[in-house]
Amino acid sequence: MRLVAIAILFCLLPWCAMASESGPDDSRPMAEIVAMIAAAEPGATLRIPAGTYVGNLLIDKPITLDGGGAAIFDGQGRGNVIEVRAEGVTIRRCTIRASGEDVTGEPAGICALAGSVTIEGNTIEDALFGIDLRESPDSVVRGNTITCKDLEPGRRGDGIRLWWSHGCVIEDNTVRGSRDMVFWYSENLRISRNTVTDCRYGLHFMYSHDTVLEENDLWGNSVGVYLMYSNRITLIGNRMRGNRGASGYGIGLKDCDDITLRDNAILANRVGLYIDNSPSSIGAFGRIESNMIAFNEVGLLATPNTHDIVVVQNAFIENEEPAATHGRGQLLKNHFAENGAGNYWSDYAGFDLDGDGIGDLAYEPRSLFGAMLGREPNLRLFVHSPTQRAIEFTARALPEFRPEPTLIDPSPLAAPPRVDLALAPAAGRSVAMGGVAASLLGLAVACGLMFGREQRMARRQSGAQA
Amino acid sequence: MTTLSATTDVPAAAPAMTKAPTLSRGTLAFARREFRDALASKWFLLYTVAFAVLAVGVSFLTLSGVGSHGFAGFGRTAAGLLNLIMLVVPLMALTAGAGSIAGERERGTLLYLLAQPVARTQVLLGKYLGLAAALVCSLCIGFGVSAGVLAWRAGGVGTGSFVLLVGCTVLLALGMLSIGVLISVVSRRSAVATGFALFVWLTLVFVSDLGLMASSLIFKLRVQEIFGLAIVNPLQSFKMAVIVNLNASLDVLGPVGAYASHTMGDALAWILIAVMVAWIVLPLGLAMLLFARSRSV
Repeated sequence: MRLVAIAILFCLLPWCAMASESGPDDSRPMAEIVAMIAAAEPGATLRIPAGTYVGNLLIDKPITLDGGGAAIFDGQGRGNVIEVRAEGVTIRRCTIRASGEDVTGEPAGICALAGSVTIEGNTIEDALFGIDLRESPDSVVRGNTITCKDLEPGRRGDGIRLWWSHGCVIEDNTVRGSRDMVFWYSENLRISRNTVTDCRYGLHFMYSHDTVLEENDLWGNSVGVYLMYSNRITLIGNRMRGNRGASGYGIGLKDCDDITLRDNAILANRVGLYIDNSPSSIGAFGRIESNMIAFNEVGLLATPNTHDIVVVQNAFIENEEPAATHGRGQLLKNHFAENGAGNYWSDYAGFDLDGDGIGDLAYEPRSLFGAMLGREPNLRLFVHSPTQRAIEFTARALPEFRPEPTLIDPSPLAAPPRVDLALAPAAGRSVAMGGVAASLLGLAVACGLMFGREQRMARRQSGAQA
Repeated sequence: MTTLSATTDVPAAAPAMTKAPTLSRGTLAFARREFRDALASKWFLLYTVAFAVLAVGVSFLTLSGVGSHGFAGFGRTAAGLLNLIMLVVPLMALTAGAGSIAGERERGTLLYLLAQPVARTQVLLGKYLGLAAALVCSLCIGFGVSAGVLAWRAGGVGTGSFVLLVGCTVLLALGMLSIGVLISVVSRRSAVATGFALFVWLTLVFVSDLGLMASSLIFKLRVQEIFGLAIVNPLQSFKMAVIVNLNASLDVLGPVGAYASHTMGDALAWILIAVMVAWIVLPLGLAMLLFARSRSV
């Protein structure tokens, strides 16, 4: 009987905890905040008492809302949770959750329709769009944590979206499980130290020019950074890791002019760097310098019409295919060396006799299997197999099968250039792996003992029978 | 209802229960003998040592390439190990299986084995189990030493993946052993069996892949056709199963892999494992059937 009572108590416990969490006593109507805002002078700072405020909030006065980390705004699944219609509003340290879900209305956790808005240190969860800046120039979005509604990828909204909002600063935000962090028609942005994971495109630029992206960390998305129709963008010190979704690019460039990539780490993506018709205008440039492009399935993938890109001082390390053409053709109209120095390629088979740090033979990757992949992408099924090695060996042994080189780096570097990046060090000792080693060897010994000694087993069995 | 089924079960189960221990003891005796024979065979020892040395070498090489950059992933090591496993393990298992019955038959010792008071199928099953134990032993040594190297240098990246890689390799080895035993049962001489095994090895490792590549180019096969034909080859199933374990998806394998991942989702890993298990069960079953039916010694 007591056992039953205890069991019932345990069953009820989580339910009780849930009930107290969203209990009616600490949820308050949004009207309280509306009244506070109505009573406040413009420019005032409102400290919101702790509690859950239920409903939608419209801010039409330049004030500061400080949640102190304990105020929760709950939109109850309807529309924008907070809508800002006045310039100079600041929203700080609030938790904002449960926006609408209807895609046509594009409801957001915070939607700003006026400029110079500061959104800082908030937590936004269960929102279709996280932060939506519409024609909201000179705004600051800093240190927010955004998780979007748990929908199938096709129905998700953007974690952060800028629409026609020039001169904004987007820093130190964390976005998880949304569609994109996307910038539409917005110029002169500063985008630094954001982390985007489990999204479609980490950072997505549409017709947005003159921007610097620094030290962002983009991992586990379909694509790390996708720049489209955007010019004069500079990426410095960003990390693109393990972006291997349907597109699976670390960085993708589509019809972009005057792009500079420097000191980025592009690791373990399906395709490290994808270039589609960039630069597209006459006289425009593209510069890819001092990046570490390592452990990707394809390091650099470019459409055959790609031209005038300068690729120098990069370290191409252990990519399954260092460089490939998307389709048939070669990448010879680009520059893989400048002032007698090219890139480091870990599969370079040449030598540096005079010891000047530059390989004495040009780097000309000729992969027969790669050329076959260009013709028939379905053959990628046979990658990582002895057959692939056999085909490559055939091409080396029989010159008539040897394809044209994908690219020519006339002066490959003999050693990788120093790329100063705080990459996660994974080298070291591991107890778990040691345990695996010990148990495997132990299994071998056990196997040997069990099968190898007939006498003892037979005696034991006869003993058991007796 | 329950009482009814229980009463009907008892008489059916009783003879099986009394008979089962003698069955397994006879089989196990043959398994032990086969295991010790395998360990005594120089070929087997050579394969074990070669596999261990190569596995350790691959682990070392892939780690030394990335260790200096502070970014070591198990993926590279696994990719290196994959090629090695796909070449060496089938060769080892096929030739070991091929020697099992044909060798005894040629030496005339099969007659003595069959003179024992055990069924022909049990002799075959015992030989299979013994060889399987020897293979698992040999693989465990190779992987164990290799894991030791990884533990020392790689920082324990992907311990779970490594265990799954070992598991898939064991499945592959058992499947290849089944085929080898089947070859052995139908061959009259040991040299013929070994030659046939080498031919099958060459077919599975290279020829079938090249044939499928050529036919997908010539006939413009659709992705589902290519996938369906590819997984029939146990080596391809093995490779895909390992890659699914490592990446949670087959997108690495291009359009065909993406098709498989997106249409089959979580079931994909089980389908691939089922194919490998089928390659263990079907050839062994066929071998037992043929061996039980044939009157030859």
